[in-house]
Amino acid sequence: MQQLPQEDIGTQKPYFRLSELNAAIKETLESSFPDTILLVAEISELRCKTKGHCYLNLVERKDDQIIAQMKANIWAYAFRKLSEKFETATGETLKDGMEVLISVNVTFHEVYGLSLNIKDIDPTYSLGEMARKKKEVIERLGREGIINLNKELKLPLVPQRIAVISSSTAAGYGDFVNHLEGNPFGYRIYHELYQSLMQGQEAETSIVASLNEIRDRIGLYDAVVIIRGGGSQIDLSCFDSYRLAAEVARFPLPVITGIGHERDDTVTDIVAHMKCKTPTDVAQFIISEMRNFEERVLEARRRLIQKTKEIMREENQRVSVAARQFKHIVASTFHGEHTRLHSAIHKLIHGTSATVNARVNIMQRYSGDLSAGTRLFLQSEDTRLKGLEQAVRLLDPANILKRGYSITYHGDRVMKDAKEVGEGDFIRTRLYDGVIKSRVEGRDGQQ
Amino acid sequence: MGNSELTYASAIEELETIVNEIESGEVDVDVLAAKVKRASELIKFCNERLKGTQAEVNKILVDLEEKEGEAGSGSEE
Repeated sequence: MQQLPQEDIGTQKPYFRLSELNAAIKETLESSFPDTILLVAEISELRCKTKGHCYLNLVERKDDQIIAQMKANIWAYAFRKLSEKFETATGETLKDGMEVLISVNVTFHEVYGLSLNIKDIDPTYSLGEMARKKKEVIERLGREGIINLNKELKLPLVPQRIAVISSSTAAGYGDFVNHLEGNPFGYRIYHELYQSLMQGQEAETSIVASLNEIRDRIGLYDAVVIIRGGGSQIDLSCFDSYRLAAEVARFPLPVITGIGHERDDTVTDIVAHMKCKTPTDVAQFIISEMRNFEERVLEARRRLIQKTKEIMREENQRVSVAARQFKHIVASTFHGEHTRLHSAIHKLIHGTSATVNARVNIMQRYSGDLSAGTRLFLQSEDTRLKGLEQAVRLLDPANILKRGYSITYHGDRVMKDAKEVGEGDFIRTRLYDGVIKSRVEGRDGQQ
Repeated sequence: MGNSELTYASAIEELETIVNEIESGEVDVDVLAAKVKRASELIKFCNERLKGTQAEVNKILVDLEEKEGEAGSGSEE
């Protein structure tokens, strides 16, 4: 202890100036705590000033009650080194609520009073703390029976209407939207952004608020997507919080995450319906679900076409068998035509060769005439083919109907015998154009 | 059977049922035409929904919002 000054001898009552007292306290404290001290405490009310100096409170809690508290500071040059070291090791920024192991000096300032000056930090301690807390949260979600709730929901066959929780400025959000809208299959995907803070102290509250907004319009969506990232890998601790994880687990729509990190899964990833690495992966997942559905449709379509064609082919064969009954009528109609054609062809060929023979000398000089003969022959062939075509047309059942024939059905069967029906039965008669439904009054059999 | 209540799930289910029926060979030829027509309607429905214009998707949303009725968070567009 330094000698206390006695300024007024006359009163015999020594007193201090405040500055002298403070100086004395300072000296006493600093000599009592000459070295740096290793301290475990929780960060609270951390704020950094423009010059880069940081001020905070260090607290200790017991059952959520603060049982000790002290002002602290980190000077700018120390903070730069220390925060970088911390972020590299933990992937987190220093923030309120974190338990840290730090090296401090006890300082006392005549004007600003008592505070701890933080010199260094040991990130491994916080890392262990975070892992422990995360484990606790996971265990609690399990205990409460909600950890798998979101996983148990069924994702709609076609997740086409998506509520997006993200920040419009996040690179990951842009990637997500570009991927959805540029999908190569031409799928239309409706997505609506619920603007949220995706990092920092407010993120947890902001994301929970967005989830609640979506809950109010739940019928509009097939799924919720939580995406962030692109750039920084830090500040994911909000995704490990019990509150956010519990909200996601209990959410009535499937939640897909694309938080964009390479570290261990966050608790939110663990409880989500589906976890993707990046926002782009989320978009690809959605598109692949739609593609799977479309492939089912295409496969059904392919089978439908194939089988229907097969049935139609068989059916046509059956009809042509029936049509054979009319063949002789058709054939006789055609016969006269055919004979005439034949003689015409015969005559043409004969006539041609006669001309050729007669003009053999000229032909030798004008060989071009040969092709004229060939042309004539081909023309006659063409005429013959046209005749055949007509014959085929006449065989077509539709044309047979056109000529006044009809087909009679009893139920689904084509009738060939009047004995197949009795009085009062209903029959259908298919004409070229339309169907007549009638009731049988009587019939004349052949015998 | 109108299309107003069709969903992707009900459409694909109906479509696959029709195809299975036809493939089993139990479908009468007269009925076949009706079945094929229905199947192609279902295929068209799925395609139009998957690839429809944004306006169509929005319309679906508006319909849903109307259905929600008094939930009334109001349309945003």
